[in-house]
Amino acid sequence: MLKVEHVTKKYDDLVAVNDLSFEVADGEIFGLLGLNGAGKTTTFRMIMGLIDDYTGKITLDGSKIDYNVTDKIGFLTEERSLLTKMTVLEQITFYGILKGMKKEDIEKKLDYYLQRFGISEYKNKKIKELSKGNQQKIQFISSIIHAPKLLILDEPFSGLDPLNVEIFKKEILDLKAKGTSIIFSSHRMEHVELFCEKLVVLVKGKSVLEGRLKDIKKNYKKKNIIIAGDIDVEELKKAKGVVSIVKQEDYYVIKIEDNSYVSPIFKKISKYDNITKFAVEDASLNEIFVSIVGDNYE
Amino acid sequence: MNKLKYLTQMSLKKKIATKWFYVANIILLVLVVGLINIDSIIKLFGGSFEKNDEIIIIDNTNSIYNEFIDNYKRFSEYLDSDDDTKIELYDKSLEEAKEEVKEDDKILLVIDNDQENFIKAEVITNKAINAITFQIITTSLNSAKQNMALEYFNISEDMLSIVNNAVNIERTRLDESKDIDETMELIMSVAFPILILPFFMLTLFLTQMIGAEVNEEKTTKSMEIIISNVSAKTHFFSKVIAGNVFVLFQGLLLVLFAILGLTIRYFISGGLITGEAASTIIDVIDSLKDTGFINNLVYIIPITLVLMILTFIAYSLLAGILASMTTNMEDYQQLQTPIIIISLVGYYLAMMAAMFEGSIFIRIASYIPFISSLLSPALLMLGQISIIDVFISLLLLIAVVFVLIKYGLRIYKVGILNYSSNHLWKKMFKAIKNKE
Repeated sequence: MLKVEHVTKKYDDLVAVNDLSFEVADGEIFGLLGLNGAGKTTTFRMIMGLIDDYTGKITLDGSKIDYNVTDKIGFLTEERSLLTKMTVLEQITFYGILKGMKKEDIEKKLDYYLQRFGISEYKNKKIKELSKGNQQKIQFISSIIHAPKLLILDEPFSGLDPLNVEIFKKEILDLKAKGTSIIFSSHRMEHVELFCEKLVVLVKGKSVLEGRLKDIKKNYKKKNIIIAGDIDVEELKKAKGVVSIVKQEDYYVIKIEDNSYVSPIFKKISKYDNITKFAVEDASLNEIFVSIVGDNYE
Repeated sequence: MNKLKYLTQMSLKKKIATKWFYVANIILLVLVVGLINIDSIIKLFGGSFEKNDEIIIIDNTNSIYNEFIDNYKRFSEYLDSDDDTKIELYDKSLEEAKEEVKEDDKILLVIDNDQENFIKAEVITNKAINAITFQIITTSLNSAKQNMALEYFNISEDMLSIVNNAVNIERTRLDESKDIDETMELIMSVAFPILILPFFMLTLFLTQMIGAEVNEEKTTKSMEIIISNVSAKTHFFSKVIAGNVFVLFQGLLLVLFAILGLTIRYFISGGLITGEAASTIIDVIDSLKDTGFINNLVYIIPITLVLMILTFIAYSLLAGILASMTTNMEDYQQLQTPIIIISLVGYYLAMMAAMFEGSIFIRIASYIPFISSLLSPALLMLGQISIIDVFISLLLLIAVVFVLIKYGLRIYKVGILNYSSNHLWKKMFKAIKNKE
């Protein structure tokens, strides 16, 4: 289990991370979200032991971060952290040995993953000769080759086509099932929603929203009403509690202030005889994120 | 596996196990062997220089011609000139001779009697002639004139030999610590250009290698992965060790190339140095032996090597620190060039040392690290500084290496994970103040 307790990191007068606390249990996927410059990278760097002059405490399975602990962490950085002049085998061997693995074990595991990702033929190719998507696969393999206890994924789906996104998703869920703690960071909220049980949203280094995704969505007052059928949009816009109406292909999404406005709206549209769908849904994580971050961002 | 050893091996592998390393060394091999045998190569390709001179002589004395030919052959052999000059007595008019000079590019030598000086001569050519040919003509005429004088004044050859003998000059220096002969300046002017080029080249290789590697790892962000698994200290030393091992290896290769070049020269020319140059060098070496200088090389060579190795280490440490501070290779290259050129200052000061003997400025400069590796041994060889001064240079260099390790490591630790040049110096000064 990863424990981040009251961690604060300052760069002179700038507070990059402000009293941040969270836990990631074994076999749990945790979302660390925020706009660019919110403090995510600084948090990752502290977990990876790259920054040590901070206050607070970070432990993995009760041990403070040192080189023995970082050997158990895998880190997939947002930008490509590959030495492009190396071949795939050389690159993975290089990182594997730095993680304390043996050469023979590295090659065996590399063969397994290359096959799993369908890129066995690139084993002895230079990384610079690979496509962006294949480079991302290699970077992903480099972060999991040592079967990490904690895996940090910063924008893991960057540069991947939908088919490869599915392969990655499957692999991430497999790792979760094997008990790996995963920190997931992405600006694609649909991906976060798909994976994360718990999350924290950072604004200027401070947590502005944290907890279980289910609870966050449930506790978020604003709801969406989905209506399919012909309605008088202008009339509905004037109704109390309606924030906005967005027309989708064959339905409308009516955003309302909170649950108390569901019943009056239902009454209003019950006069129409061609309504085929009326459903109340929680706001999407994207909406929650935009709303919360927007409110807290000056 | 030991991570320092592994990182060092990887750095070396990246530099050595590339086709460009092989290509560069093949080019170096060709250049070194070619330069050592440049005279043979020039001759091999031939050219107009092979055209033999043709001298026509109008001998108005009617007595010099035969002796001139003998002298000419003798001096040509002495100067090891491949000259196969054709010499003939001309029996037509001066005007006709001049026409031939114009048309056939011949050398016309007109010898006349001279009442005061036995003979006088005029050399008429269409354009400039080879300096050696002119030298041989002059010497041959002078020799002929001497023989005429011998005969005229009835002087025996033994007597002339005594007159011509050089004055025997004995050199005594009361300060025995300065047992350096004047010939040292000659050695310096020959040996130093040979030494500075590989030293400069190796320094360039060293700083380039470290800078390129650190910048590559920084710009690809793989530095984050590496530094999360090994300490900045381990990473720093792996680069410094790999850089220095590479430079020593490359230096050794250059020595091997030079040995190969000399061996080829030995078999092609029948000796390493031939002609008059050979006897001059033997004279110089004898002179150095007499002064005991050769014996002094027993400590001068190791000291020079130690100074050079320590300078390489200092350069590699500096290169690592500077590379960590820059955010891309272009910035690093801009910074690297003036720093390497510092070593050239040492070279030029060493060259000027003979002209400004006793200069306090040059003496103090010999203590300065990065310059001292060339300047200090040079001044020692010239007798301008003592072994104590060289030890001061050595101690200062060790001190600089220590400072670069102690404070440079702090900068390196912050620099390698810094991707912005904003407030760079502030960040670095702050890093220096931070203790581990």
